[in-house]
Amino acid sequence: MRATVKLEDLEEAREIRRRYANWDYIRKQPPRIRVALEYYVETGDLYVASRIAGVTIEEFNELRIKAGIPNVC
Amino acid sequence: MSAREPEFAIADTCFLIDWARYRYRDVLFKLFKTVFVPETILREVKSENTIAWIASNLAKGHLTLYTETADVVSEATSIVEASKRSPHLISVELPEAVCLAVGRRRGYVVLTENRGLILFSSISSDYRDVAIWRALEVIAMASLKELLEIECSDLEARFKEYEEETLISS
Amino acid sequence: MRFLELNSADLDEVLKRYAEEEAEAREVRRRYADWDYIRKQPPRIRAALEYYVESGDIRRACLIAGMDLEDFRELLRRANMPVVV
Repeated sequence: MRATVKLEDLEEAREIRRRYANWDYIRKQPPRIRVALEYYVETGDLYVASRIAGVTIEEFNELRIKAGIPNVC
Repeated sequence: MSAREPEFAIADTCFLIDWARYRYRDVLFKLFKTVFVPETILREVKSENTIAWIASNLAKGHLTLYTETADVVSEATSIVEASKRSPHLISVELPEAVCLAVGRRRGYVVLTENRGLILFSSISSDYRDVAIWRALEVIAMASLKELLEIECSDLEARFKEYEEETLISS
Repeated sequence: MRFLELNSADLDEVLKRYAEEEAEAREVRRRYADWDYIRKQPPRIRAALEYYVESGDIRRACLIAGMDLEDFRELLRRANMPVVV
Protein backbone atom coordinates (compact mmCIF):
# COMPACT_ATOMS: atom_id res chain seq x y z
CA MET A 1 0.00 0.00 0.00
CA ARG A 2 1.33 3.42 -0.87
CA ALA A 3 0.00 6.96 -1.02
CA THR A 4 -0.19 8.38 -4.50
CA VAL A 5 -0.89 11.82 -5.85
CA LYS A 6 -1.91 12.56 -9.38
CA LEU A 7 -1.32 15.83 -11.20
CA GLU A 8 -5.09 16.32 -11.41
CA ASP A 9 -5.24 16.07 -7.59
CA LEU A 10 -2.66 18.86 -7.28
CA GLU A 11 -4.61 21.08 -9.66
CA GLU A 12 -7.86 20.37 -7.83
CA ALA A 13 -6.21 21.16 -4.48
CA ARG A 14 -4.93 24.48 -5.87
CA GLU A 15 -8.42 25.37 -7.09
CA ILE A 16 -9.89 24.61 -3.68
CA ARG A 17 -7.29 26.75 -1.91
CA ARG A 18 -7.89 29.63 -4.35
CA ARG A 19 -11.65 29.42 -3.94
CA TYR A 20 -11.73 29.28 -0.14
CA ALA A 21 -8.94 31.75 0.58
CA ASN A 22 -10.01 35.01 2.21
CA TRP A 23 -8.43 37.33 -0.33
CA ASP A 24 -9.44 40.47 1.59
CA TYR A 25 -7.50 39.22 4.58
CA ILE A 26 -4.56 38.20 2.41
CA ARG A 27 -4.36 41.56 0.63
CA LYS A 28 -4.24 43.42 3.96
CA GLN A 29 -1.18 41.56 5.20
CA PRO A 30 2.36 43.02 5.25
CA PRO A 31 4.17 42.28 1.95
CA ARG A 32 6.17 39.28 3.07
CA ILE A 33 3.21 37.56 4.70
CA ARG A 34 0.96 38.35 1.75
CA VAL A 35 3.45 36.96 -0.75
CA ALA A 36 3.89 33.83 1.38
CA LEU A 37 0.14 33.25 1.62
CA GLU A 38 -0.20 33.69 -2.16
CA TYR A 39 2.65 31.24 -2.61
CA TYR A 40 0.90 28.78 -0.31
CA VAL A 41 -2.39 29.08 -2.21
CA GLU A 42 -0.56 28.22 -5.43
CA THR A 43 1.59 25.39 -4.15
CA GLY A 44 0.33 24.07 -0.80
CA ASP A 45 3.96 24.05 0.35
CA LEU A 46 3.79 25.02 3.99
CA TYR A 47 7.51 24.80 4.70
CA VAL A 48 8.68 27.06 1.90
CA ALA A 49 5.79 29.43 2.54
CA SER A 50 6.91 29.75 6.17
CA ARG A 51 10.45 30.54 5.00
CA ILE A 52 9.16 33.23 2.67
CA ALA A 53 7.12 34.70 5.52
CA GLY A 54 10.08 34.49 7.88
CA VAL A 55 8.06 32.69 10.54
CA THR A 56 7.95 29.18 11.96
CA ILE A 57 5.80 26.53 10.31
CA GLU A 58 3.44 26.65 13.24
CA GLU A 59 3.11 30.44 13.03
CA PHE A 60 2.50 30.21 9.31
CA ASN A 61 -0.12 27.54 9.84
CA GLU A 62 -1.94 29.99 12.13
CA LEU A 63 -1.81 32.57 9.34
CA ARG A 64 -3.11 29.99 6.88
CA ILE A 65 -6.07 29.29 9.14
CA LYS A 66 -6.81 32.99 9.62
CA ALA A 67 -6.65 33.41 5.84
CA GLY A 68 -9.21 30.66 5.45
CA ILE A 69 -6.96 28.57 3.23
CA PRO A 70 -7.72 24.90 3.63
CA ASN A 71 -4.91 22.44 4.11
CA VAL A 72 -5.69 20.36 1.04
CA CYS A 73 -3.29 17.67 -0.16
CA MET B 1 33.31 28.98 -17.48
CA SER B 2 33.39 25.17 -17.62
CA ALA B 3 33.06 23.23 -20.87
CA ARG B 4 30.08 21.30 -19.58
CA GLU B 5 26.82 23.24 -19.53
CA PRO B 6 25.94 24.12 -15.94
CA GLU B 7 22.49 22.92 -14.95
CA PHE B 8 22.05 24.55 -11.60
CA ALA B 9 23.08 27.70 -9.82
CA ILE B 10 22.92 29.03 -6.27
CA ALA B 11 22.37 32.72 -5.67
CA ASP B 12 23.40 35.02 -2.85
CA THR B 13 21.68 38.15 -1.58
CA CYS B 14 23.92 40.67 -3.33
CA PHE B 15 23.09 39.11 -6.66
CA LEU B 16 19.36 38.65 -6.11
CA ILE B 17 18.50 42.08 -4.74
CA ASP B 18 19.98 43.76 -7.82
CA TRP B 19 19.04 41.15 -10.40
CA ALA B 20 15.36 41.29 -9.34
CA ARG B 21 15.28 44.90 -10.59
CA TYR B 22 16.52 44.07 -14.08
CA ARG B 23 13.94 44.09 -16.84
CA TYR B 24 15.32 40.86 -18.31
CA ARG B 25 15.63 39.13 -14.94
CA ASP B 26 13.74 36.04 -16.11
CA VAL B 27 16.44 35.23 -18.66
CA LEU B 28 18.21 33.66 -15.68
CA PHE B 29 15.74 30.80 -15.82
CA LYS B 30 16.60 30.03 -19.41
CA LEU B 31 20.20 29.43 -18.39
CA PHE B 32 19.58 27.04 -15.51
CA LYS B 33 17.13 24.25 -14.74
CA THR B 34 16.65 25.87 -11.37
CA VAL B 35 18.47 28.41 -9.23
CA PHE B 36 18.80 27.52 -5.55
CA VAL B 37 18.23 30.13 -2.87
CA PRO B 38 19.61 29.23 0.57
CA GLU B 39 17.34 29.90 3.53
CA THR B 40 19.94 32.27 5.00
CA ILE B 41 19.71 34.32 1.79
CA LEU B 42 15.91 34.30 1.73
CA ARG B 43 15.88 35.67 5.29
CA GLU B 44 17.87 38.69 4.16
CA VAL B 45 15.51 39.71 1.38
CA LYS B 46 13.12 42.44 2.51
CA SER B 47 11.74 44.46 -0.38
CA GLU B 48 8.31 43.64 -1.72
CA ASN B 49 9.43 43.56 -5.34
CA THR B 50 12.24 41.12 -4.68
CA ILE B 51 10.34 38.82 -2.35
CA ALA B 52 7.37 38.73 -4.72
CA TRP B 53 9.60 37.83 -7.67
CA ILE B 54 11.33 35.14 -5.61
CA ALA B 55 8.07 33.67 -4.33
CA SER B 56 6.42 33.52 -7.74
CA ASN B 57 9.47 31.79 -9.19
CA LEU B 58 9.65 29.39 -6.26
CA ALA B 59 6.09 28.47 -7.14
CA LYS B 60 7.06 27.88 -10.78
CA GLY B 61 10.13 25.85 -9.86
CA HIS B 62 12.53 28.32 -11.49
CA LEU B 63 13.88 28.97 -8.02
CA THR B 64 14.24 26.30 -5.34
CA LEU B 65 14.75 26.78 -1.64
CA TYR B 66 18.00 25.28 -0.37
CA THR B 67 17.97 24.18 3.27
CA GLU B 68 21.49 24.28 4.64
CA THR B 69 22.65 21.14 6.41
CA ALA B 70 25.05 21.15 9.35
CA ASP B 71 28.00 20.03 7.24
CA VAL B 72 27.41 22.83 4.71
CA VAL B 73 27.23 25.40 7.52
CA SER B 74 30.39 23.96 9.03
CA GLU B 75 32.24 24.28 5.72
CA ALA B 76 30.85 27.79 5.24
CA THR B 77 32.10 28.75 8.71
CA SER B 78 35.56 27.49 7.76
CA ILE B 79 35.45 29.70 4.67
CA VAL B 80 34.51 32.71 6.79
CA GLU B 81 37.36 32.01 9.22
CA ALA B 82 39.87 31.52 6.41
CA SER B 83 38.83 34.78 4.76
CA LYS B 84 39.44 36.66 8.01
CA ARG B 85 42.98 35.34 8.35
CA SER B 86 44.31 37.33 5.44
CA PRO B 87 44.52 41.13 5.66
CA HIS B 88 44.40 41.36 1.86
CA LEU B 89 40.86 40.13 1.57
CA ILE B 90 37.41 41.57 1.97
CA SER B 91 36.07 39.08 4.48
CA VAL B 92 33.42 36.65 3.42
CA GLU B 93 30.32 36.33 5.57
CA LEU B 94 28.23 33.25 6.23
CA PRO B 95 25.41 33.66 3.68
CA GLU B 96 27.73 33.90 0.68
CA ALA B 97 30.08 31.33 2.19
CA VAL B 98 27.15 28.90 2.19
CA CYS B 99 26.74 29.51 -1.55
CA LEU B 100 30.42 28.83 -2.17
CA ALA B 101 30.36 25.64 -0.09
CA VAL B 102 27.32 24.36 -1.97
CA GLY B 103 28.86 25.41 -5.29
CA ARG B 104 31.89 23.28 -4.52
CA ARG B 105 29.92 20.29 -3.23
CA ARG B 106 27.26 20.18 -5.91
CA GLY B 107 28.98 21.78 -8.90
CA TYR B 108 26.51 24.67 -8.98
CA VAL B 109 27.38 28.01 -10.48
CA VAL B 110 27.57 30.58 -7.68
CA LEU B 111 25.78 33.85 -8.48
CA THR B 112 27.18 36.73 -6.48
CA GLU B 113 28.32 40.35 -6.67
CA ASN B 114 30.46 39.97 -3.57
CA ARG B 115 34.03 40.86 -4.42
CA GLY B 116 35.36 39.22 -1.28
CA LEU B 117 33.88 35.90 -2.32
CA ILE B 118 35.23 36.21 -5.86
CA LEU B 119 38.74 36.93 -4.65
CA PHE B 120 38.68 34.28 -1.94
CA SER B 121 37.67 31.58 -4.40
CA SER B 122 40.43 32.60 -6.82
CA ILE B 123 43.17 32.20 -4.23
CA SER B 124 41.94 29.09 -2.47
CA SER B 125 42.90 25.73 -3.96
CA ASP B 126 39.68 24.10 -2.83
CA TYR B 127 37.44 26.68 -4.46
CA ARG B 128 39.30 27.79 -7.56
CA ASP B 129 37.28 25.49 -9.77
CA VAL B 130 33.92 26.70 -8.54
CA ALA B 131 32.21 28.67 -11.32
CA ILE B 132 31.35 32.13 -10.01
CA TRP B 133 29.23 34.45 -12.09
CA ARG B 134 28.23 38.02 -11.51
CA ALA B 135 25.40 39.69 -13.39
CA LEU B 136 28.04 40.50 -16.02
CA GLU B 137 28.67 36.83 -16.75
CA VAL B 138 24.95 35.98 -16.70
CA ILE B 139 24.23 38.71 -19.25
CA ALA B 140 27.22 37.68 -21.37
CA MET B 141 26.17 34.02 -21.36
CA ALA B 142 22.56 34.90 -22.15
CA SER B 143 23.68 36.98 -25.11
CA LEU B 144 26.07 34.23 -26.30
CA LYS B 145 23.15 31.82 -26.28
CA GLU B 146 21.01 34.43 -28.05
CA LEU B 147 18.53 34.52 -25.20
CA LEU B 148 18.69 38.29 -25.18
CA GLU B 149 17.97 40.16 -28.38
CA ILE B 150 21.31 41.79 -28.79
CA GLU B 151 24.16 42.18 -31.19
CA CYS B 152 27.61 41.42 -29.84
CA SER B 153 28.63 45.01 -30.33
CA ASP B 154 25.83 46.07 -28.01
CA LEU B 155 27.02 43.98 -25.09
CA GLU B 156 28.59 46.96 -23.40
CA ALA B 157 25.34 48.86 -23.79
CA ARG B 158 23.53 45.92 -22.22
CA PHE B 159 25.89 45.99 -19.20
CA LYS B 160 25.35 49.73 -18.89
CA GLU B 161 21.59 49.22 -19.03
CA TYR B 162 21.83 46.65 -16.21
CA GLU B 163 23.94 49.00 -14.11
CA GLU B 164 21.50 51.87 -14.58
CA GLU B 165 18.39 49.79 -13.87
CA THR B 166 19.85 48.41 -10.66
CA LEU B 167 21.07 51.83 -9.58
CA ILE B 168 17.66 53.47 -9.63
CA SER B 169 16.33 54.01 -6.13
CA SER B 170 12.87 52.65 -5.40
CA MET C 1 40.76 23.32 3.80
CA ARG C 2 43.93 24.12 1.96
CA PHE C 3 43.63 27.84 2.04
CA LEU C 4 46.25 29.91 0.16
CA GLU C 5 47.90 26.83 -1.24
CA LEU C 6 48.96 28.70 -4.37
CA ASN C 7 52.71 29.14 -4.54
CA SER C 8 53.79 32.58 -3.45
CA ALA C 9 54.48 33.82 -7.00
CA ASP C 10 50.95 32.91 -8.16
CA LEU C 11 49.45 34.39 -5.02
CA ASP C 12 51.38 37.64 -5.48
CA GLU C 13 50.14 37.80 -9.07
CA VAL C 14 46.52 37.30 -8.05
CA LEU C 15 46.72 39.80 -5.21
CA LYS C 16 48.44 42.35 -7.43
CA ARG C 17 45.71 42.03 -10.05
CA TYR C 18 43.07 42.26 -7.34
CA ALA C 19 44.69 45.40 -5.89
CA GLU C 20 44.67 47.04 -9.34
CA GLU C 21 41.02 46.15 -9.93
CA GLU C 22 40.10 47.35 -6.46
CA ALA C 23 41.88 50.66 -7.03
CA GLU C 24 39.94 51.13 -10.24
CA ALA C 25 36.67 50.17 -8.58
CA ARG C 26 37.37 52.59 -5.73
CA GLU C 27 37.93 55.40 -8.21
CA VAL C 28 34.61 54.63 -9.88
CA ARG C 29 32.78 54.65 -6.54
CA ARG C 30 34.47 57.92 -5.52
CA ARG C 31 33.60 59.56 -8.81
CA TYR C 32 29.95 58.49 -8.95
CA ALA C 33 29.11 58.96 -5.27
CA ASP C 34 26.73 61.77 -4.42
CA TRP C 35 28.91 63.43 -1.80
CA ASP C 36 26.27 66.05 -0.94
CA TYR C 37 23.88 63.26 -0.05
CA ILE C 38 26.55 61.38 1.92
CA ARG C 39 27.57 64.45 3.92
CA LYS C 40 23.96 65.06 4.98
CA GLN C 41 23.55 61.63 6.54
CA PRO C 42 23.65 60.90 10.29
CA PRO C 43 27.18 60.07 11.47
CA ARG C 44 26.79 56.29 11.48
CA ILE C 45 25.28 56.15 8.00
CA ARG C 46 27.84 58.61 6.65
CA ALA C 47 30.68 56.54 8.12
CA ALA C 48 29.23 53.39 6.55
CA LEU C 49 28.89 55.02 3.14
CA GLU C 50 32.41 56.42 3.27
CA TYR C 51 33.69 53.02 4.34
CA TYR C 52 31.90 51.42 1.42
CA VAL C 53 33.35 53.92 -1.07
CA GLU C 54 36.86 53.10 0.11
CA SER C 55 36.57 49.36 0.58
CA GLY C 56 33.69 48.00 -1.51
CA ASP C 57 32.90 45.76 1.45
CA ILE C 58 29.12 45.90 1.56
CA ARG C 59 28.72 43.45 4.44
CA ARG C 60 30.93 45.35 6.83
CA ALA C 61 29.42 48.64 5.70
CA CYS C 62 25.97 47.28 6.64
CA LEU C 63 27.26 46.43 10.11
CA ILE C 64 28.66 49.92 10.52
CA ALA C 65 25.36 51.41 9.40
CA GLY C 66 23.38 49.03 11.61
CA MET C 67 21.20 48.16 8.62
CA ASP C 68 20.30 44.99 6.80
CA LEU C 69 21.80 44.33 3.39
CA GLU C 70 18.83 45.22 1.26
CA ASP C 71 18.18 48.50 3.07
CA PHE C 72 21.85 49.40 2.78
CA ARG C 73 21.79 48.59 -0.92
CA GLU C 74 18.88 51.01 -1.27
CA LEU C 75 20.97 53.62 0.53
CA LEU C 76 23.80 53.03 -1.94
CA ARG C 77 21.39 53.68 -4.78
CA ARG C 78 20.33 56.96 -3.20
CA ALA C 79 23.99 57.85 -2.81
CA ASN C 80 24.38 57.07 -6.53
CA MET C 81 26.86 54.33 -5.87
CA PRO C 82 27.09 51.62 -8.50
CA VAL C 83 27.80 47.97 -7.87
CA VAL C 84 31.07 48.07 -9.76
CA VAL C 85 31.42 45.22 -12.24
